[in-house]
Amino acid sequence: MKKSLIYFIMLSTLLQVSCKKSIEVEPTSLLTSGTFWKSESDAIGALNGMYVSLRTVAVQNLFILGEARAQTMAQALAGTVGLDIFYLNSLDVDNISVNWTGLYKTIDEANLILKYVPNITITTAGSKNNILAQAYTTRAYAYFVMARSWGGVPLRTEPTEGYDPMSIQIARSTVDEVMALVKADLEKAIPLYPTNNFATGRNTWTKAGANALKADVFLWTGKLMKGGTADFQAALAATEEVQKADVSLLPNFNDIFSYDNKGNKEVIMASRFQVLESDNNIYQYMYLNASNNPSNITQATKDVIGVIGSGNAGNSIMQVAAPIRNQFMASDKRRAATFYEIFSTTNVLITTITGAKGTGTVQAGVRHFKNDIMLYRYADVLLMKAEAKNALGMDPATEMNLVRARAYGSEPGHTFVNGSKADNDNAILRERLLELTSEGKRWWDVRRFGKVFELVPSMQANAGKDYMLLFPIGNAIRSLEPKVVENPGWAP
Amino acid sequence: MENNGVKNRGTRFLFFQVSKIFLIRKELCFFLFIQPFFFSAFAQTAVTGSVSDSKGTAISGVTITTKGGTKGVNTDAKGQFSITVADLKGSLVFTHVGFKVQEIALGNKNEINVMLDEDPSKLDEVVVIGYGKQSRELLTTSVSKLDTKNLENVSYTNVSQALQGALPGVRVQTTSGEPGAASRVIVRGGTSINNPNGAAPLYIVDGVFKDGGLTDINANDIESLQVLKDAASTAIYGARGSNGVVIVTTKSGRSGRTSFTYSYGLTGSKPGKVVEYASARDYIQYNRLGTVAAAVKNAALLSRNTQAGGSGTGNNLTNATAYTTMYLTPDNQFKLSQGWESMPDPLDPTKTIIFKDTKFSDLIYQNALTQEHNFSASGGTDKATFNAALGYLASDGTVISTKYKRLSFNLNGSIKLRSNIVINGRLLYTNRSNSSLASYANILYRGASLPGTAKYAFEDSTLAPGQSQSIGNPDYFLKGQYALQGNTNVEGTTMVVGGRWDIIPGLSFEPQISLFRANSDLYRFQPAALLNGVGAVVTTRASSASYSKTTQYQADGVLTYAKSIADNHHLEVKAGISYYSKNLMSQSAAGQGAATDNIPTLNAAAQPTAVSGQISDLRIAGLFSRIDYDYKEKYLLSLNYRYDGASNLGSSNKFGSFPGISAGWNLHKEKFWDQLFPRNLLTFKIRGSYGINGNISGLGDFQALGNYSVGSQYSSNAAVLTSVLPNADLSWEKSKTIDVGFDAGLFDRRVSFIFDYYRRTTDDLLTTVSLPASSGYSTVFTNLGSLENTGYEMAVDVKILPPSSKVQWSLSLNAAKVESQIQKLPANGVDKNRIGGVYVWDPATAGYAWLGGLQEGGRVGDMYAYKLTGVYATDADAVKGPVDNIVNTANKTKYGGDAMWADIDKNNIIDSRDQVYVGNPYPKWTGGISSYLSYKDLSLFVRADYTVGATVYNYPAVFADGQLQGDALPTKRFIDNMWKKQGDIANTPRYVWQNQTGNIRPNNTYYEKGDFLAIREITLAYSLPKPLISKIRASNVNLNLTGSNLHYFTAYTGQVPDDGGQDNGHYPIPVNLTFAIRVTF
Repeated sequence: MKKSLIYFIMLSTLLQVSCKKSIEVEPTSLLTSGTFWKSESDAIGALNGMYVSLRTVAVQNLFILGEARAQTMAQALAGTVGLDIFYLNSLDVDNISVNWTGLYKTIDEANLILKYVPNITITTAGSKNNILAQAYTTRAYAYFVMARSWGGVPLRTEPTEGYDPMSIQIARSTVDEVMALVKADLEKAIPLYPTNNFATGRNTWTKAGANALKADVFLWTGKLMKGGTADFQAALAATEEVQKADVSLLPNFNDIFSYDNKGNKEVIMASRFQVLESDNNIYQYMYLNASNNPSNITQATKDVIGVIGSGNAGNSIMQVAAPIRNQFMASDKRRAATFYEIFSTTNVLITTITGAKGTGTVQAGVRHFKNDIMLYRYADVLLMKAEAKNALGMDPATEMNLVRARAYGSEPGHTFVNGSKADNDNAILRERLLELTSEGKRWWDVRRFGKVFELVPSMQANAGKDYMLLFPIGNAIRSLEPKVVENPGWAP
Repeated sequence: MENNGVKNRGTRFLFFQVSKIFLIRKELCFFLFIQPFFFSAFAQTAVTGSVSDSKGTAISGVTITTKGGTKGVNTDAKGQFSITVADLKGSLVFTHVGFKVQEIALGNKNEINVMLDEDPSKLDEVVVIGYGKQSRELLTTSVSKLDTKNLENVSYTNVSQALQGALPGVRVQTTSGEPGAASRVIVRGGTSINNPNGAAPLYIVDGVFKDGGLTDINANDIESLQVLKDAASTAIYGARGSNGVVIVTTKSGRSGRTSFTYSYGLTGSKPGKVVEYASARDYIQYNRLGTVAAAVKNAALLSRNTQAGGSGTGNNLTNATAYTTMYLTPDNQFKLSQGWESMPDPLDPTKTIIFKDTKFSDLIYQNALTQEHNFSASGGTDKATFNAALGYLASDGTVISTKYKRLSFNLNGSIKLRSNIVINGRLLYTNRSNSSLASYANILYRGASLPGTAKYAFEDSTLAPGQSQSIGNPDYFLKGQYALQGNTNVEGTTMVVGGRWDIIPGLSFEPQISLFRANSDLYRFQPAALLNGVGAVVTTRASSASYSKTTQYQADGVLTYAKSIADNHHLEVKAGISYYSKNLMSQSAAGQGAATDNIPTLNAAAQPTAVSGQISDLRIAGLFSRIDYDYKEKYLLSLNYRYDGASNLGSSNKFGSFPGISAGWNLHKEKFWDQLFPRNLLTFKIRGSYGINGNISGLGDFQALGNYSVGSQYSSNAAVLTSVLPNADLSWEKSKTIDVGFDAGLFDRRVSFIFDYYRRTTDDLLTTVSLPASSGYSTVFTNLGSLENTGYEMAVDVKILPPSSKVQWSLSLNAAKVESQIQKLPANGVDKNRIGGVYVWDPATAGYAWLGGLQEGGRVGDMYAYKLTGVYATDADAVKGPVDNIVNTANKTKYGGDAMWADIDKNNIIDSRDQVYVGNPYPKWTGGISSYLSYKDLSLFVRADYTVGATVYNYPAVFADGQLQGDALPTKRFIDNMWKKQGDIANTPRYVWQNQTGNIRPNNTYYEKGDFLAIREITLAYSLPKPLISKIRASNVNLNLTGSNLHYFTAYTGQVPDDGGQDNGHYPIPVNLTFAIRVTF
């Protein structure tokens, strides 16, 4: 019997000869960290990915951070999908539904480009620089949005490429440190752009876009962070740089936003939304759907409304608030692009819906709310130029009148005449309201002009509570980022 | 050369070499050079005899093996057998399904006649374990075996349902009554920290790993099913064993008389518990008043009452409005004679509202039929056996449009090439197709809460869509020309060739090579329809198709050496290799813009919209061995070991070792035992095991390498985005389990009791960890911390009446309790290394604290919500209450009928910190009970199962009661119980339109107990008397009548209590009545 035991041992030993290569396989359908970042097409793919991430932020969050709290909006026919906390300014650390997740994802993708692209062989130095410039500008833009929203935020300038429970947590930097990075990134970006031309579609960062952003940044630090004259001069210079590019005001206001006229000459930088490519954006909440579709309206009204939205994509969640609507004169061509009032057959106002700014396109019986989200357009830059000039004691009439001329045509009585600095500021701020309502700018504007507690009705009762100018970071974020402290005042 | 039954074969030489067994890519691996070797055979003796049952009837197909040996023969049709043994001093072991295992000492006789006792005690059953079989008497690990009675009577569209409540420590939850839906199977609570419901066990069918679980198996093909639960029993499956192993053996042919069996089952099903919604009249009444109540804080809402909404009066008889609610006018008066109703407008009783009430929730359901045919033929000689089975099942679901069909084959045969070489082949094939609901939510609770005032059809008698596709008329969206079309087809083929070579007595080699192939294809097409409700017809005509193919190769070789020394020491040693390779290939495409509804396939799409494809590979290789030893069956010892490597692990952790040890002591075999207790009064075995095993389920094939996602576009340019963070350190999840238990038998084992206590600590859990949002990633897949599951399991089987009784009654019950605790999390600088959680008042510490989420010492899944303490009876009471900051309108005034929320921190403000613990989704106790009563040819089988401790968030009720989608019909329960007027004392708040931040916020009243006891099956069976059926030459004719899923005793008000956590719409579990006939020739 010992023999069979010997056989067993011999056999089993021989059976158990294996080699580790037997379990080695290579991925076929995946791009892994080991196989990516090798070629120019990788760099371009990643660049597009960064813009996809930025677009995710533009779907809704840029509007919420940049405008929703300024009370340009009010509830419409349906529920609120939780957006009422913004226009009512009833935010707290628990209900806050906007956070920095998408912005940091965009930053991470920019950081990856900035880390890897310098080592990739790319046909011309110009195209490599162009990619790097766009990554710097994107990172500057994202941090600028965050600094205005939350103040100091965690500064991440290296991509996240692994997981270590301790080091992955970062505390907040100061707002000065964040704005210093924003400015430094812009200083690196602008000279890297090989030309002052726009790319087709005007939906990527260019030198003009970076300069528009720079003007915005310096107006902010000039007014709110003690930057003073030097910053206003930098802002003014940046707007002048923008004007050297191929930009102009479109004669017809509606045309700026038309789905079929994307990338027109007024656009400096827009986030591209497209059927089959992107989600519906914020304008989907400013229309009508099946459960909120007025019935007692004339055929003419029905014709304007056209195809309603599907489900929540097209719900009557928000409308331009009445006090804002009332500031548009009937002759203002921007009125119809901003909102449309639906009256019943008995002439009672039922609700309003977005105008050309947000109506998107209709395909095969489906309305797609996919207007591009304008980050910067020429009228915005003209008004920033007016603002910088006024801050420097110069006459802003040229820019103001360019904008007004398009809005009112030849109708008399709309010419801007230089007045006191304060009056000019009021006029510029009001012009920005009429020009840019529902484009995600108003909250930044009233913040920059220091008029939040004066002009925003739901903030008037909160005068003195300066902490409310920032957003709360919120428990949802803080439960995952224990090193991040809440903005004082918001903390429960 | 025969001489008195003694065969003298002499000596034989054999040369054997196998090379190139596995050729993988370019590498030549697993060389298997078995060098030439020699052996000689030995003198042997034949033993013959016959086997019969207690009535003297011959039993065919009884397996006879020599004790301690591995070689077996079967009895023929006359119950006769012949087996060669080494000598006449040993014993023979007789095993047959349905009979007690019997061991007979030969005592130098070469002819023996044996009578087998029927219905063995649980403690005598034979269980299949990893790469072998064992009698429970000798088992030292924790293995539960399914009572095959559970499989016999119900037409299972997915056999996993048969396991519910049947196996202690195996949580089986049937969360959908859709035909074909798989039940969730979780062994001992699972080893997952972020998805405990995803910790599926490893499934092995006839030695072949099946990722898809039991979905492709016809219950009629199952010979046995057992679940290995502790680490010592699963260690032999190494890397994948820690969530338990389900081993299924399908039926094979037996030598003996050929038999044909045909069975037919006809099942009538009716929908299970369906939630009852309010009537259209109540809806109009209270929604109009509720809208006025909501308008107190937002005047704009008042216009809803005059619009063309569910309760608004702006509707008319044209196709432009979706609802029937309108004021009575001379033009529409005729509708009252067509079944419409009328009521005074609650806002202005001088006006009359007319409407039509359609119970849309009733339209979703139907009574349905299931038919099942099974045919099988099996038989063989002592040289060859075969089995051929064919099954067909067609089932309609109790939700309209759902269907399931399955065709299955089980073909296998085995032939004895030489006296010591057996080759077998096996083919299992399943083809199933089904039409399932595209979205449970859209149909089962959104569609169900479409207000009854919605038009079923327009005046031109075309169907009306309801509000939209996501809350629509079921007949419009599920039936007829507007319904989503499509079909899913899945084909699974398992091919196995294996064998057994008895090299020399005691030494055998069993190789098995298998190929498993699963193909699935599906297409979907949405015809032009009013998808967004009345208005524009959506002509997108979205169309999609996909195809996927899984190819799995597996090769195993097991070498077994068994030896008995001096009749006292029994030793079995196994060693083997296992190699597994899986390739997944899939493609899908979508398009739109077809010009017509007549072609549902992609060729008609004018515009392609998306394409996708994937090729992915996984390889696992392992070496394993086991040593089983016992001394006189008193002292039992088993050692298991596996060394495993998997391709998807991080580069630094590809291989791992998994040992297991178990031991047992049969006290009743000791001499002193006989002095303590009368013989056969009490048998008792104590056993214990410890083992380490692993888990890699949930780990993507290339997860460790990180991933950039492709396929999205920016301005029509291809984009690449980061998606999965690489993690080269990804390693096995390691479970260490201690299991102690005992098996006790009382009164000659008429009562058997199996008990286990275990503690499983799982370290390096493979887990998705939430990352700080500022990292740019939401999660990373990593090895994180450790989880401890502890539990008890017990199974009791009692034969209540003595074997001599004409009436036989046996009762089985089992119960299992499991508790999980998070032991360790990676240090992240936070108290208890917490990840996530909610910031609330903690009564335990009388301060604010982060509770829930993941934290050391805590549990997974704890849920927090507001606590309803009552309802303000009057406006005057309401103003005295605390300020409610969760109400997010500027006006936070409370009125009579509003909810009173518990102010947990007593700061007179209701905010998020006032949430309390409201439950946990995972049950603590699960188990079942069954009873089998028989008298002569009649039997009654009843089984029930229960679950205790899980909490269900009744989201469908929140959706309805809170009108989360504009026009939504509340539940009848809400309307019946709600506060209606000043002074009412109620426990349900008043109706305020869309009051989700006010009264219908997530709160304890919607977090309901999911405890239940289900009467799962009652079967009355009758075998026709033999004289009657012998006329048709049948050997057996059984008739049975089975009711299944007959009743749930539960307090849960939703449709299905089986699933803890948020109820996202469950297909009700149908109540079935089955008539079946089984004829055996």
